[in-house]
Amino acid sequence: MTANPTAPAVRVRGLTVVYKTPVGELPAVSNVDLTLAPGTITGVVGESGSGKSTLALCLLNAVQSPGRIAAGSVEIDGLGDVVELGGEELRRARGRHVGYVFQAAQNSLNPLKTIGKQLLDLGRSHGVEDLRALVRDAKDLLARMGMDGARVLDSYQHELSGGMRQRVGIMLALVLNAKVVVLDEPTTALDMITQATILRIVREVHDERGLTTLVITHDVGAVAEVADNLAVMYGGRVVEHGPVMEVLGSPRHPYTRGLIRAIPRLSGDISLARALPGRPPTLGTLPAAGCVFRERCDRRMDVCDTVEPVPLTRDGRTVACHAVDAAADVDANAAPGVAAGAADRTPTTARRKEYA
Amino acid sequence: MITGTGITKTFKQRGSVLGAREVRALREVDFAIEPGGAVSFIGESGCGKTTLGRIIAGLETYDSGEIVIDGVPMSGLGHRRRQPHFRRIQLIHQDPYSALNPTRTIHQTLEAPLALRAKQTGRSRSWVDARAEELLGLVGIDPGYVLPRYPHQLSGGMRQRVVIARALTMDPEVLVADEAVSMIDVSLRLGILGLLKDLRVRLGVGVLFITHDIATARYLGDDSELYVLYRGQVVEHGPTETVITRPVHPYTQSLLSATPVLHGLEKPGAERVVPTEALDPSRTDEGCLFAPRCQFATQLCTEQRPRLSHDGTTLQEHACFHPRTRSVIPTGTGTETEMGADTLADTGADMGARG
Repeated sequence: MTANPTAPAVRVRGLTVVYKTPVGELPAVSNVDLTLAPGTITGVVGESGSGKSTLALCLLNAVQSPGRIAAGSVEIDGLGDVVELGGEELRRARGRHVGYVFQAAQNSLNPLKTIGKQLLDLGRSHGVEDLRALVRDAKDLLARMGMDGARVLDSYQHELSGGMRQRVGIMLALVLNAKVVVLDEPTTALDMITQATILRIVREVHDERGLTTLVITHDVGAVAEVADNLAVMYGGRVVEHGPVMEVLGSPRHPYTRGLIRAIPRLSGDISLARALPGRPPTLGTLPAAGCVFRERCDRRMDVCDTVEPVPLTRDGRTVACHAVDAAADVDANAAPGVAAGAADRTPTTARRKEYA
Repeated sequence: MITGTGITKTFKQRGSVLGAREVRALREVDFAIEPGGAVSFIGESGCGKTTLGRIIAGLETYDSGEIVIDGVPMSGLGHRRRQPHFRRIQLIHQDPYSALNPTRTIHQTLEAPLALRAKQTGRSRSWVDARAEELLGLVGIDPGYVLPRYPHQLSGGMRQRVVIARALTMDPEVLVADEAVSMIDVSLRLGILGLLKDLRVRLGVGVLFITHDIATARYLGDDSELYVLYRGQVVEHGPTETVITRPVHPYTQSLLSATPVLHGLEKPGAERVVPTEALDPSRTDEGCLFAPRCQFATQLCTEQRPRLSHDGTTLQEHACFHPRTRSVIPTGTGTETEMGADTLADTGADMGARG
């Protein structure tokens, strides 16, 4: 897990994406700050409607109408602010700087052309002069992922299995030497053994090529397997962000805690597992003010109804929650030397009342 | 009680350039579902688990073997005579988004089968509405909210509950749930699994659960059973918890090893098994079906096919010449007891039907 110094950093700042609906413009992503450290894999987990795919599209500045990026910036080292790019500049950046592996690779490949033809199209549209070298690179990449490159390039997408298509998607995203790669639900619809293979390939190729990788998924398990950092999205906000081991090992935000408790797992006590009450918000049901998670939260306070919690960073972990802040403040006042890390472990009724 | 013995199914693909090809979807599969019991079938895509579910639901024929529903063998009956029996087995589809008619309200969706049911059992019209409300209450959603609405107005979790309620209109003996939670949001999956477990107890309805995600099979109840299918053959069968914690077949071990580890919360198992190459159903049928991918295969495995049996040393049946328990599943790091310590109201359902 050594971070590669040549890999670019990605800085998302104040990003807001709105979708036009009959009741006005509603935010799918709201004032998101997220930094992808160079050479790391960051996983973004969230349920349907959390805004995770919209966030991913912003790295390509590819949000489609009726959506639009209303505010904020996406700075990528060596490229600049993607939100400011347009037209030909933007087209060239996609694929060259930022590779994107789409959800359901079978839908993003052209059924009427062989993989090789699509590769050549990609090369021509990006002005690659040495197409032979491009094909050679593609073959190498496919071989690296355990496939017969020549055979795959001569195949149509229907001749490939789901796992193979996913690998073709990864190849197309990397063949132009993009250093930032976004994978949107790379393992959804794959079965367990294929999923494990794809995740291992993502990790290995990431390390070998010195990439900065963003993995979008609803499956915490898939992210836990490959990512260095984990960002948890809910209702268009990043509610928790930090090293994956810490976020999973000692989650702080009530949503993260509830989500982890709700994952069907092979280990652990079944009786401790339970579904989160309530249901994920949609664009229309998002509250206009206050915390977006309060309806499902077991640590709700009065302030949550009116004031949206600000993401605060303590010892490398970012959390947006009033209850966590309050507990941390109490601990800081009581024993200034104590690390804030233990702060959220004691949500006693007394403490909650104090802030109610 | 529903039993199957020696269920075999071969799909024949006719005359492409490559000539006719046969795919053996199921090979002499035996199973039994007790009233109120839970049985899970797991395996990769292409292992035959969906075909088996469709056969049990009466949607697909089988080549040989016998399905017995409440003591009545199905193979002797014609199509029309079978139907009342197979009606007692209801299928819950994977995708709650396409399983409901988008142009009908939930009331209309439930009314049609209930009206039929009322006719069959000689009940009055007023029973239909009362029963619709009762069923929705049973699956944990507010009838007043859901009944006048269309499917697109409901969340995925609620839609799946409506699909289950619709299946219950036929007073089924068994619900066949084919990947019933794989398209549900993670935070709500346990709610649906808990509902299935609950229905077993409250209605005595059996559950046949088909999935590729073994972990979900644990949540159907302590007494559930697990069948592991590989290329149409059952390679391991036993109590769910036994098969998961003490698997003996290398294929079961591969599936369990492939389940992602929640680093920080779990440590990977010490003896994870990685299968060598991808599934190719067209390869030859000599010897053990899993041998070409198995790192523990010997000469014997390539010559003979092991049969599913008890060898007396394990609680489960297996089809392997070299059974050995390996610790492949992740182990907890102990942090979760701490997490579980602060109590959280267990509403367990996405019933928050706010407008």
